[in-house]
Amino acid sequence: MGNISGNAYALTVLAPIREGHVDERAYSSLVRDHLENWNLLPNSPMAQVPQTYLCRYFVLDDVYIESLPGASALDTYSDFLPVVPNGVRLGVLPAHDHLKSKYLVFSCNFHGDLDTYLHAMWTAISTEIKDVWGYCYGFDQVTNAEEFAAYVKKCQLPAALFFVGSNDDPLEEQLKALYLKQEFSKFAVESQGLPTALLKKKYQEFIARVAPTNLSGPSWTPGQYSLPKAQDKQQEAAL
Amino acid sequence: MSNIAGKAYAMNVITPIRWYTTWLNKLIFWVALKKPSTLSGLITLSLIHYARWVIIGKNQFPHVHVDQPKEELRYSYMLFFSNFNGSWDQYVDSFTFAIPSGLDMFWKWNIRYPHSVALTPFHKYIQYNQLETAHYYSAYPLAASNDIKAAKKLKSMLIAFDQQWHDAPDEQFQKQYNTLLRGLQHDMGEMRPTPIVSMSAAQVEKRHARDLRKAKQEKVEAMEGPQHG
Amino acid sequence: MTTVLDLMDIQGDVVRPYGRFGFPVARYVFFNIRDGAAARAFVAEIAAQVTTAATWDQGPNPIPRPQATTNIAFTYQGLKQLELPRESLIGFPAEFAMGMKQRKDILGDDGPSSPEYWDPIWRANREKDRNKDVHFFISINGQSQEFIEQRYQSLLALVAKYSHAITLLTGHRGNDGAEDLPYQDVHAIVENGQITAKEHFGYTDGIGDPYFEGLADPKERILGRGKQMADGTWAPLATGEFVLGHIDEAQEYPPAPKPNLLSRNGTYMVYRKLHENVASFDQFLERESQNYPGGKELLAAKFVGRWRDNGAPLVSAPDAESKKAWDARFNANAGNEAAQDHMLSNFTYDDDMSGAKCPFSAHIRRINPRASLEFKQGDNPGAMVANPGAFDTPGALANRRRILRRGLPYGDAKDRSTDRGNHGIVIMMLNADISRQFEFVQQQWINYGNDFKAANDKEILLGNHNKEYPSKAVIQVDPDSDQVPYFVRNIPRLVETRGGDYFFIPSLTALRMIAKGLIDPT
Repeated sequence: MGNISGNAYALTVLAPIREGHVDERAYSSLVRDHLENWNLLPNSPMAQVPQTYLCRYFVLDDVYIESLPGASALDTYSDFLPVVPNGVRLGVLPAHDHLKSKYLVFSCNFHGDLDTYLHAMWTAISTEIKDVWGYCYGFDQVTNAEEFAAYVKKCQLPAALFFVGSNDDPLEEQLKALYLKQEFSKFAVESQGLPTALLKKKYQEFIARVAPTNLSGPSWTPGQYSLPKAQDKQQEAAL
Repeated sequence: MSNIAGKAYAMNVITPIRWYTTWLNKLIFWVALKKPSTLSGLITLSLIHYARWVIIGKNQFPHVHVDQPKEELRYSYMLFFSNFNGSWDQYVDSFTFAIPSGLDMFWKWNIRYPHSVALTPFHKYIQYNQLETAHYYSAYPLAASNDIKAAKKLKSMLIAFDQQWHDAPDEQFQKQYNTLLRGLQHDMGEMRPTPIVSMSAAQVEKRHARDLRKAKQEKVEAMEGPQHG
Repeated sequence: MTTVLDLMDIQGDVVRPYGRFGFPVARYVFFNIRDGAAARAFVAEIAAQVTTAATWDQGPNPIPRPQATTNIAFTYQGLKQLELPRESLIGFPAEFAMGMKQRKDILGDDGPSSPEYWDPIWRANREKDRNKDVHFFISINGQSQEFIEQRYQSLLALVAKYSHAITLLTGHRGNDGAEDLPYQDVHAIVENGQITAKEHFGYTDGIGDPYFEGLADPKERILGRGKQMADGTWAPLATGEFVLGHIDEAQEYPPAPKPNLLSRNGTYMVYRKLHENVASFDQFLERESQNYPGGKELLAAKFVGRWRDNGAPLVSAPDAESKKAWDARFNANAGNEAAQDHMLSNFTYDDDMSGAKCPFSAHIRRINPRASLEFKQGDNPGAMVANPGAFDTPGALANRRRILRRGLPYGDAKDRSTDRGNHGIVIMMLNADISRQFEFVQQQWINYGNDFKAANDKEILLGNHNKEYPSKAVIQVDPDSDQVPYFVRNIPRLVETRGGDYFFIPSLTALRMIAKGLIDPT
């Protein structure tokens, strides 16, 4: 099935947003507002949702009308006619399509099974979910994880092609691997040229510290965007 | 700022397709899935974390409530979501230079698709049909797709090495350790916060950092009372 | 199919690296414009002296090789002062309008490379005092210093006529602590009375300029300088990569300001003054080569991808032994410039996909990876192998990132015990698209390493190494050997930016029209 590639899942959700307003601000505008406020938090609420690789939200206002020139055969088939009747000429211009509702679009890449993921998502951030999804049609009926999963599946669309460029490992594996890459590279550089006995000793200390097979040992945290020692310096330098 | 999460960039493109060619589009994608060699260029470029194409038939926009008006569309739509490394320009440029035929294959039959060569019409087509992301999250903003792949390889080789040679006699340990490093010689780059992707993104981030700092300071002052002069 | 370039319409510095054509010295002068209309009259007079790209001493009615050349280029602010219409001005790309100083975050000009440390002329440029802005640039290249002085004096005489309209800007640093020179002098380094192509770290520079369609250069120079094709041949790069108004590698005319006559046959120039920390380099090389199995000169070669003494590419001469053989062949070709150039430029990375000969973080591999980015993991974990057919052409990722390099070293490094002397290079990089070519290479390939599977590891020589995140580079080894990769550690910042800006080099046609105030995009 197009949504699945190995153990990675591509979830595409278009949830229709209700027509309505609060104090002259449309619901869709409020949804956007909530999402943009998420950008001002220390980290995304999605960092608390287990197994999330990368995900995004946006509000789809409307579809676009293609006014750029066409280049494919179907756009230009009328060229074969020596004389183009006016009706045909107008007919090949792109039609004006419009959506009747705005949609909250949620596109998510995660590891594992859909139901498990959605249940865990509700458990972790149900308040934030209600903030953002609360204006969607029928969402007022969603009060628990089960109902949330059912709702999302009603709004879900299948992917025609899901391309996994990196891998489909559990998130903890990916984060641990990144941590090990960073730490081992540092170790290899620092211990260059050491006499063998000392190298071996330092190596064993290193392994004890980083615990490669222990996923709950030291690792990177989901959504981590700075390196430990330089965090404050970065903020100062950025100003 | 909202299209970027560290080293990852979010692109969303929506393009109309004729309802009677959607089966062709789906077929092309199906073939790509079955024949991995079609994606060889994409894989070699190595810039993508995850990407997907979604085809929404004109009657397939989710309809979940009796109050929701039913969509009446002439066209079906193709949605493209990509999570890639680098800036928009770098990404689109890389694809156009390296795999123009692949791009053409996927966007074939889209209304008024200009083909990927020459460059500027293709740039215009993508920009024209792009949707901005409101909120974007990456679990590892410090890592590019290459880093994730290298990390997986490093972890597995390190564990295998450790299992076999952790307590090996010195000479053997050294030899195997050298072999380990040699096998990882392309995987030991260190990760740092990304180079900035665009001037505007950097400006937004600077303002944000400054606002955070100000907010923090105001909080502290509120708790401690105003600083003595 | 072949473009024929109108060489008399293109300025000479675009097609010719004068430094290697018998003009081993140059002087760069910068001006501010106070009165646009009067300045245009100056431009009209100087236009008559501008050296074109016409071939010298050839054909009927030959143009003699001049003793000195004159060329001119303008910043965005300069074009504005000359009163180009707004409709033309907005057609210039954003980065050109912003100027190099404002792009420092993209270029990595931080720490010791920040504008606060630049030469006074560049510090003052585009700040509060508009009278200190750099508006245009005149370069004088000479067969000798004497000819430079002559040309400079006649330039000064002309400038004096227009003293109400233009000012010659001072503020270049020079020898003996000078801070306020009226020009930037550059010159080839002379060793034992011989003019060399060296720079102050000891490397032979100025090898391998891109070969593009329409150049009057001999056809053999395409090998190694053009673009690599899948069948092993070389093809010329499209002219539009380097000269506006001609088709580029994307099969279109590069976006350019209107009207066409303003941009056609013109190009952009990135002028950068780069100070070289000679003491840091020497100490760094000394320190890191202590334990390097191949020795100091091999390690120095690994930094750049070429041996210091004669520029032998590591790909062709990966160790001391093969270097000896290479040297023998090279010296046997003494006097045969074409053959020597062949040995220096004609190579690929096809037999070095793992970087065992030329490391992935070496200078020349980072600034021009040729076809080496069409690669994938090999069977051996430490090996990268070619992945033929993955891309449209093998060099797809490099073909549109090529740059014409001009310029010469400045100062001298007789005292190598300190970094603080006056020594470095002035490099001018010419391309049709500053952000796609120069800025991309600077930001993505020099100061970052993702495309080379090196995460954030920077290019050894030019990278903006800093103390906060100490830099390292991996010197790869043959994956089928039993050698261990070598780490070059704690790389100091070896090169510091000391100033520069983005310029537009107009064609002769555009120059004359600008001078007459006739640019009109209607």
